[in-house]
Amino acid sequence: MAEVRLEQAEKRFGDVTAVTGIDLTIHDGEFVVLLGPTGAGKTTTLRLVAGLEMPDHGRVSIGGRDATPLSPMERNVAFVFQQYSLYPHLSVYDNLAFPLRSPTRRVDEATIRHAVERVAKLLRIEQKLQNRATRLSGGEMQRVAIGRALVRSPSIFLMDEPLSSLDAKLRAELRLELKHIQQDLGATVLYVSHDQTEAMTMANRIGVLDHGRLVQIGSPREIYESPRNIYVATRLGMPSINLLPLSAFPSHPAPTGTRTIGARTEHVAIARGNGGAHARVEWVEHLGDQNHLHLAIGEHKLVTLVDPDLDLSVGDAVDIALQQPLYFDADGERIGG
Amino acid sequence: MPDMNAIADRVASATPPHVGKAIRGLSDRSIAWIFVAPTMILLLAINIFPLIWTVYLSFTNYASNRPNRAVVNVGLKWYQDILSSPEVWAAMQATAHFVFWTIFFQTLIGFGLAYLIDRKFRGHAFWTTIILIPMMLSPAVVGNFWKFLYQPQIGLFNYVISFFTGIPPSSFEMLGSVTLAPWAIVIVDTWMWTPYVMLICLAGLRSIPDYIYEAAEVDRASKWRQFWSITLPMALPFIMLAVLFRGIENFKMFDMVVLLTGGGPGSTTELASITLKRQAFEAYRTGYSSAFAIILFVVVFGLANIYVRALNKVKQR
Repeated sequence: MAEVRLEQAEKRFGDVTAVTGIDLTIHDGEFVVLLGPTGAGKTTTLRLVAGLEMPDHGRVSIGGRDATPLSPMERNVAFVFQQYSLYPHLSVYDNLAFPLRSPTRRVDEATIRHAVERVAKLLRIEQKLQNRATRLSGGEMQRVAIGRALVRSPSIFLMDEPLSSLDAKLRAELRLELKHIQQDLGATVLYVSHDQTEAMTMANRIGVLDHGRLVQIGSPREIYESPRNIYVATRLGMPSINLLPLSAFPSHPAPTGTRTIGARTEHVAIARGNGGAHARVEWVEHLGDQNHLHLAIGEHKLVTLVDPDLDLSVGDAVDIALQQPLYFDADGERIGG
Repeated sequence: MPDMNAIADRVASATPPHVGKAIRGLSDRSIAWIFVAPTMILLLAINIFPLIWTVYLSFTNYASNRPNRAVVNVGLKWYQDILSSPEVWAAMQATAHFVFWTIFFQTLIGFGLAYLIDRKFRGHAFWTTIILIPMMLSPAVVGNFWKFLYQPQIGLFNYVISFFTGIPPSSFEMLGSVTLAPWAIVIVDTWMWTPYVMLICLAGLRSIPDYIYEAAEVDRASKWRQFWSITLPMALPFIMLAVLFRGIENFKMFDMVVLLTGGGPGSTTELASITLKRQAFEAYRTGYSSAFAIILFVVVFGLANIYVRALNKVKQR
């Protein structure tokens, strides 16, 4: 494992700038998740590290060495693709052994067998070693793909939404396994996702990308609690953070320059008739362990989390108090962050 | 939906009562039969019946130029004659030579061309179209043109060969020489049908997703290893399909070779289909040629079956 560093990396495809000015250091043994919507440049960043794309500007260094001019073969990285990129005519065993059988490695068959069996056990696919790669379920295929990365000791694991094509249950399972494996091996991982749960649960640090730029990087807690701007604030949290104009809370003391107030669902306290902002209950979603309360303040809507025992129904008038609200200026940048 | 009901009512009222009654009396099954019947009758009339009739004729002394002669059952005589005839075995050998070598060269060159075209260089679509031109021509045209090209005095082929090797152009005759004529027809067929094989191989190569190559690259597989462990195995079903199509097609090759050599010199390029045609429509040995046709049918059918089984095995992997 090694430290991987991107310095001022830029990549263009024709007229489109996929990423620009990316400065990112992934420390040895760290799990970094790149979060962002489709087209934000997550995958391009990953491919720049892998050497599948060459940067137009900037540098990529792996383990302190400049890797910018090196091909994927020379970089010693492992890549897990979004699609199950298995070699379909080979057995699971041969798929796992494939990277070790590279003539540049000169690994003897006994060592290969040992390594393959170790990884198969780790990923619980040891029963499937003799199966053809195409005769597996989706979850098993992706395990094999991950196993093919684990079987060698690369400088860094690069994972491009490896769990996105699996169903929800399997995704949750494999997410946990992946995090455990990473911790056990002390692996350095750069992981791309558009799923905030994956980012929150697995990452040591989350990097949020927007239109090819790294907007903010920090621990999941930092990103959640003190986002740099509205864009970052909306990336995390389910339901999404409530964004309301300052005018909706005329009596609220806000710093000068505030245009928008952001309040996460759990930071909106409601009470009956206290003279705060006057709101009306529009809809109640019962989720069992909690209720989502859809409120309207004038023409503005917001969602809060409430205790399921709280007896409120559509049409009730409530008062709202904001706890730890976030303030944003006219450009959407955070004030006092 | 009221509109649909209105339409249904109108259709019902427009149908004459006696037709409506007749249709209503039919079960779904019989309606299905009515729809399928024309095709089935056509197939029976032009495929199945002639086949059965040929089997029947192969046991008789029937001759189509003497329809009034009494038809005598001769049993397995024709089959015995054919299988012990050196002429037939020579024709089968010529056919095997032709089929084997055309497939060999067409697959080799066709796959090679497909591999190059698949690099997606500038203007690859244009070159694909250019390469496809020979297979768009009629075999009759191809046969006639190559006859001129092979002409020892004025032909382009001999001229080009002599240009590169220094052998005088009129010192050899591609179509007139016993040793060269079998290769002459292989060359023409390869020229004409390699594009077809290329097209199928290209479809195979295009079906391999890029990320598999990228995964292999990250896994440190050389281009050579990528070719042997990804490209070839994944394109193999397509290559096999091309071989099957060309094999069946060339087993019954007739028109082009007749125009080029007419089966000559002697009978060195007399393929099974040419022998068959001569027996059936020049010697009018209808019974004999029927038996020969059945034998050819069984051979092609059997070989194709074995082959398709192998193909399915490869595809299932």
